[in-house]
Amino acid sequence: MSEFYASAPIPIRDDLAAAHDRAWVRIGRPGTWWDGAQRVAIAAETRNAPSCALCRRRKEALSPAAIEGTHDSLSALPEIVVEIVHRVRTDPGRLSERWFRGIIPAGLSEEQYVETVSIVAHVVAIDTMARGLGIDEPALPQPQPGTPSRNRPYGAQLGGAWVPWLEPADLSEAEADLYPSGRPAANIMKAMSLVPDEVRGFFDVVSYQYQPPLAMRDFSREYRAISHAQIELLAARVSVLNQCLY
Amino acid sequence: MLLRASGVTHNRAYDLSAVTGATPGDAGVPYGRLLVEFAEAVLGDDEEVLDHARAALSAAIGPAGLVDAGAVVGLFNAIDRVADATGIPLEAEKREASADFRAALGVDRFDVGARD
Repeated sequence: MSEFYASAPIPIRDDLAAAHDRAWVRIGRPGTWWDGAQRVAIAAETRNAPSCALCRRRKEALSPAAIEGTHDSLSALPEIVVEIVHRVRTDPGRLSERWFRGIIPAGLSEEQYVETVSIVAHVVAIDTMARGLGIDEPALPQPQPGTPSRNRPYGAQLGGAWVPWLEPADLSEAEADLYPSGRPAANIMKAMSLVPDEVRGFFDVVSYQYQPPLAMRDFSREYRAISHAQIELLAARVSVLNQCLY
Repeated sequence: MLLRASGVTHNRAYDLSAVTGATPGDAGVPYGRLLVEFAEAVLGDDEEVLDHARAALSAAIGPAGLVDAGAVVGLFNAIDRVADATGIPLEAEKREASADFRAALGVDRFDVGARD
């Protein structure tokens, strides 16, 4: 039984608590392109972003690119990483390919970019749930020692997204478990496949915080305390509020 | 799109305009209005509104339902960021299947390919 939400004032499903526990452990460990300290710093910066004055001014502006300035950061990460974390956290509905194409020449690899996005997404998923339920955000994990694995999948190539991804036909034996079998891989699963461990980690959270892949379209029974229709109404409303078509 | 698929399976026509906030109804989903108000409050910045929305939803669907609702709101607040930050397009079959209601709801303006 997970102790992750042991002090929460309402009971959290144990499988969900355990998934969040695993996510936190992963964030503290060395990843593929960032070490444990850098990953925890990205998580901390994700929490700091909503208090950034530059992000607030950009959010209110007709175009975020029209507002120049320096982010209010925790000063633990390069400015370009802070820019990514803050923009993805505070104004995702106006991210553009032009903005993304400016990130890479500024000194960041596409692989580091994808891993950064994944860490931001993990923290947003867990912290937004905490806000919704009125419970405390979990304390960030302690960074663990070690070096990143720097494993770039051989078959990754540019497809339909801004970043290279892995098509199912290009998976090596090491990535054979990446996508569910028996149905096409959704683009949201391929999105972070340039860093396969982030797909595995994030979709571990997805399976428990939303539904497992095969349950999403199994309308013959309900898997949660709310129905498929209630789940999808929530999902759709959130996506419209975030101005996300996908 | 899964909301519509769920409705087809159960022979129900959900009112998708509630998703855009164009109408304040429940979309034909049990406790739909409370769910939408909860999602809006979680993503908003008014703590009093959120407290009220949370309490109302919990009273209606119980604490286990509230936990699952909060989990879904949190998860999609994250998935949207993965989709938007990586610039993934809609899959061709989803694009075709959702063309009518995307047009009706006016959400194509959110397409990452249309952003400058």
